[in-house]
Amino acid sequence: MAHNPLEQFVIRPIVPLHIGNIDVSFTQSALWMGIAVVLATVLMTLSMQKRAMVPGRWQNVAEMFYEFINGMVRENLGPEGAKYFPFVFSIFMIVLMGNLLGMVPYSFTYTSHIIVTGVLACMVCLLALVVGLVKHGGHFFSLFLPKGLPWPLIPLIVAIEIISYLSHPVSLSVRLFANMVAGHTMLKVFAGFSVTLITVTFGAVLGLLPLVVNVALIGLEIMIAFIQAYVFAILTCIYLKDAIELH
Amino acid sequence: MSLTPEELSQQIKEARAKQDQNLEIQPPKIGEQNGAATGKALRAASDLVAALVVGGFLGYWVDRWLHTLPLFLIIFFFLGFGAGFLNIYRAQMSESAANKIDNDVSKTDKEEK
Repeated sequence: MAHNPLEQFVIRPIVPLHIGNIDVSFTQSALWMGIAVVLATVLMTLSMQKRAMVPGRWQNVAEMFYEFINGMVRENLGPEGAKYFPFVFSIFMIVLMGNLLGMVPYSFTYTSHIIVTGVLACMVCLLALVVGLVKHGGHFFSLFLPKGLPWPLIPLIVAIEIISYLSHPVSLSVRLFANMVAGHTMLKVFAGFSVTLITVTFGAVLGLLPLVVNVALIGLEIMIAFIQAYVFAILTCIYLKDAIELH
Repeated sequence: MSLTPEELSQQIKEARAKQDQNLEIQPPKIGEQNGAATGKALRAASDLVAALVVGGFLGYWVDRWLHTLPLFLIIFFFLGFGAGFLNIYRAQMSESAANKIDNDVSKTDKEEK
């Protein structure tokens, strides 16, 4: 049985569709993004339908997510940051759903593609840029010029500050994408060990060892799924804060 | 089995004392702290590498434009290194500032008690 640990990341069209020379097929990646959006919406609306004073199980889950992100936004952006809550919450949910749905067997992890995480990161950084420009106008560019800088250092520091600023979306997208690819590849590689070991003597017993490791790795991966969504959301808050406050 | 109000209040008192004890013994959210710490560690690594990549890319781009390969590639590589450390420094400084506030708050909480 041939298996390639990277084969799971291949994008396959479900409904092939071409407009001119552009391939706009509905792929399994798009399908899982759709599932994530529907699932997140259903989870948040259905579980809050009762609006009970004493929350039930599902309402508790929804309130936990809400309070988690709300606390994060308030802590970083202050009370006036409440208007950015819907954006941060949507980003958090789409990343979390992508990471967690990827853990379901036979599913597809759309956050394992740099184009998806890259667009999300660019959305975050463009929003921060627009917010900063609207709020401070041309004064926004003083972000690249720390106060009280001796003039010979200005070109050097400004260059470093600009590179640092440009590295935000790269760092944000590559971290999520690399974590997802590495985790899922590792799972497949260990699963492959099991398959290979079955053919040797005592294979039935030896083959169980990588399986045990895989069980632990799946636990780790679920934790990583949460941590990465958390990091993505908190960095969204921090970049917005930088744009609003101009450190 | 029926209890007199006195017995019942006694039992409630004991249960409350037990609950308070349990709450005090519990360490504060170890899992959450571990998760956040792992997030921070991952952040530092990717922040450094991302700045290097951006620096290298910008340098290569300027070189392609001015036909001076590899002059600006080298210069921007080092600038990227600086920017990477700046990223990490900023992240750590804001982190320790937040920790300091947390510690101050918990200190005043204890003093009030």
